[in-house]
Amino acid sequence: MKRVQSVCPFCGVGCGMELQVQKNCLSSVIPLRGHPVSDGQLCVKGWNTRYAIDHRDRVLAPLIRTQEGFRETTWKEAIAYISDSIKTIDDEMGSDALGVISSARATNEDNYAAQKFARAVLKTNNIDHCARICHSSTVAGLKRTLGSGAMTNSIADVFQADAIMVFGADPTENHSVVGGKIMKAKLAGARLIVVDPRKTRLAKMADIHLQLRIGSNIALLNAMMAEIVANGWHNETFIRQRCTGFDHLTHSIEQSAKQAEKLTGLDLNLIRQAAQVYSQADSAMIMYGMGVTQFVSGTNNVMALADLALLCGQIGRPGTGVNPLRGQNNVQGACDMGCLPNVFPGYQSVDDPVVIQRFSEGWETSLSDRPGLTSMGMTQASLSGDFRGLIIIGEDPVVTDPDQNQVRRALQRLDLLVVAELAMTETAKLADVILPAASFAEKDGTFTNCERRVQRINKAIPPPGDTRTDWRWLAETARALGSTQLHWQETEDVFNEMARLTPIYSGMDYQALAEHQGLQWPCNADSPEGSPFLHGDLFPTANGKAAFVAVNPTELDETADEEFPLLLTTNRLGFHYGCGSMSRRSPLLERETPPGYLFIHPLDAQELGIGQHEAIGIRSRRGYVETRAMISEDVAQGLVSMPYHFREAPSNQLTNNAQDPVTKMPELKACAVSVKPLPAGQGPRDIDTIRREEPA
Amino acid sequence: MKVFRLDDIDGFVAHLADQFMVHNYLQDSDERPPAESPKKFFFTESENIFSFDGSCFREVTPAPDPFALVGVNSCDLTGIAYLDQFFADDPCYQARRRAALLVGIDCLSPCDNGFCHLVGSGPGVSEEHADLVLHALPDDRYLLMVCTESGEQAVADLHLETWTGSQVRQQRLESCIEQFDDFDHLTTGMDLLRKDAVSDSFWETLGIQCLACSGCTSLCPTCSCHDSREIVRGDEVVQQRFWDSCLFEAFQREASLHNPTGSAGRRIHRFWTHKFSETTVRQFGRTGCVGCGRCEQTCPGVIGVHSTMRRMAQYVDAGTNAG
Repeated sequence: MKRVQSVCPFCGVGCGMELQVQKNCLSSVIPLRGHPVSDGQLCVKGWNTRYAIDHRDRVLAPLIRTQEGFRETTWKEAIAYISDSIKTIDDEMGSDALGVISSARATNEDNYAAQKFARAVLKTNNIDHCARICHSSTVAGLKRTLGSGAMTNSIADVFQADAIMVFGADPTENHSVVGGKIMKAKLAGARLIVVDPRKTRLAKMADIHLQLRIGSNIALLNAMMAEIVANGWHNETFIRQRCTGFDHLTHSIEQSAKQAEKLTGLDLNLIRQAAQVYSQADSAMIMYGMGVTQFVSGTNNVMALADLALLCGQIGRPGTGVNPLRGQNNVQGACDMGCLPNVFPGYQSVDDPVVIQRFSEGWETSLSDRPGLTSMGMTQASLSGDFRGLIIIGEDPVVTDPDQNQVRRALQRLDLLVVAELAMTETAKLADVILPAASFAEKDGTFTNCERRVQRINKAIPPPGDTRTDWRWLAETARALGSTQLHWQETEDVFNEMARLTPIYSGMDYQALAEHQGLQWPCNADSPEGSPFLHGDLFPTANGKAAFVAVNPTELDETADEEFPLLLTTNRLGFHYGCGSMSRRSPLLERETPPGYLFIHPLDAQELGIGQHEAIGIRSRRGYVETRAMISEDVAQGLVSMPYHFREAPSNQLTNNAQDPVTKMPELKACAVSVKPLPAGQGPRDIDTIRREEPA
Repeated sequence: MKVFRLDDIDGFVAHLADQFMVHNYLQDSDERPPAESPKKFFFTESENIFSFDGSCFREVTPAPDPFALVGVNSCDLTGIAYLDQFFADDPCYQARRRAALLVGIDCLSPCDNGFCHLVGSGPGVSEEHADLVLHALPDDRYLLMVCTESGEQAVADLHLETWTGSQVRQQRLESCIEQFDDFDHLTTGMDLLRKDAVSDSFWETLGIQCLACSGCTSLCPTCSCHDSREIVRGDEVVQQRFWDSCLFEAFQREASLHNPTGSAGRRIHRFWTHKFSETTVRQFGRTGCVGCGRCEQTCPGVIGVHSTMRRMAQYVDAGTNAG
């Protein structure tokens, strides 16, 4: 049996795993003891990794669309088809009619290649990835307040925190190993505050659960800050020495604090208690998730959290900080690699002439200084006919993006849709060409976890069939387009080129990463051993200080009304991951949950005449799905919640694509719906059946 | 039982390697017990049990080449002995088991979370659990105990010198036992479990912490839960058996969605009862726990064996009477 050390391919925690190989197949995985993040632990998804990449469920050859359906083809033909289509679109419409959506599941090397392909070969900044719909508001909101848009501290810091505030996140489900560490810290004496409209597992263990009305984050945070200032619990020295904009903040929070009880539905005493615990702890750590970011007010929510941390000086030390929990194994890396329409690798702005010059010289080609389209900008531009060719690497926007019907229409309208995937997905079904991708176990490279730790993954098995590592086919497509920009021999060459051009990665190479069990950026000449926490002395801003940014409560884009009387939010289940294309291959995970359900409060269920597990229909202004009811007091009355993993009952039929004005983050966390029981004896129909029987 | 002196451990392993495919745990002897138990050598994570080609059913029985597990700790060998009983009539397990030579090694110091001495599974290897047993002497030499005929055959050509020394092994194992920490919480907890004297509310409180990761059951040397599924590929249908975990909600969920162990509290209650109850002892002649302590480290929910037993003992101390 061959044993290879690697990193778990599921969420952004980055647990260490040993891949065990028999007869060129991944036979099992076990957790790595002594690993700096996970020390011998995995979550249920990690334990089920071998099913996720089983070659028998994979796309093993390039597929090209014909009138009779997909036909297997060669890489040569597939790439010729793609490059010909790209040339046609470029000739007719120019390069900005083309774009790439890269993958938070792929390596840094693949992502670096994808954005370089868009920028240096296609000549457009139309490059984005799924961070758009998870933490783009983090990148923007923390950049503006703290100067850097990533987790400020390390996961292990929970054991140095006297108080931990988990805000709009459900880590025991979505980042289970981190969730476990929070439980352990709580059991060892740390105070735990949970802010969530749902009773999550951690909420059930918390000292204080602030079960606020969905969408009232800013009202709550402003009220906490107002209480802190009124009681003199703020850290004046820290504010004076390290921040700007305090006076403006105090004025603003006083105003909005008055409405706090009404907006949040919480007792002010409880808010005060939480404010006291957080502000008076020697070290207090904020960990947050998509209950903060996925709102039209997402960027403002993030800035309000940063304000709170700054106000109390709970940042820049171990056991403190503002810490976004990232969703996918390499979503941090995909952001770091510049798979965003406004920045090059290392968050270097595309409209900064110095940066443009650095990359033009580094890549020996001219580059566009016009920020590109976001992923949803590309789909919208497709609907208006301005955008015609899209390459999607390892993402399934038909299941994961808001307003499924619109996404489907937009993708169908494209002249060229290329999808690189492990297995057939709902998005791949719409493609003109499907490219078979190699999985994490079949290639070398690096993943960057949510605590900015860059870790090596190692090839354990040969890529099955005709599958290929993404950067390799991108390089070949570049050559077919007459470009020699992507000319690397080995994966390590890609990393080295990236590190040369990316200051926060400049001190890293494969050898150093292996020796240190991963290194946390910034890792450069100043911090060759990496940076377990950020902002110790200075913030990476022009004046070295952090900026308070006062924000006001914003209403949800859609509120409940007579026709749609319930608010729908989305959640994840510990057993599944994203669109389910990996986790749903496991018979154990697939057995654990039915293909979709809706959490509903017993009183709402009673009023609607819905019994446990009964079939129901859910309608919003945008779409309709059917599923089963899971009656549970974990959701508040008036709120229903739906996991988004299931293609049969996709929550994104219903969700709202109203967007944050700064980052275009859609308001995935709240929309208005109506729920009705289906006639007795009738089971829920899957979305394909509904679409067939009731065409829109 | 014959006892020999073994001066050349590498030569011994090389000698075995001439006859067997050797998996050598001695190489990583500082990592003790190894990250996972060797149960997957016999009860594999997934395997095809039979296939149907459209007209015939065929049983798929493995035919492994002879292999030797060298340097297995007493806790893990006890786990294999336990599974030997559980899978007594299982042709796949037994085919692999027959191909295996087990070479145990005595532990001479406590490991991080281990408590084999409290559950009768170590630190010394029982002669009934291995073909050969190694005991490291202070001077890089070993004692080699030959416990079975297969063991005797495996070392027949080595021409070893019979050990005539004192009862050194017994003394050193006793001294190892004395070095274990005070594990009062375990004795208290095991007693409560035997009496089933722990309240439902205690289990429900702990149940909140069970993330159903399946880490404990995957690493446990005696856990053997499995499920099976039909895999249809073209004309062929294969029945595949794969590791399951009794901590999954769906493990015992019935088609009507009724579930006798519907809450996480009930599931962990059953899990620990299964490991320590009198019923298990009656059925298998010992506890279902072999004291390896792996569940303590791998459990993200902080409810491995020590954490759980400590909480139980605290309940009793606090006078809340876990019952």
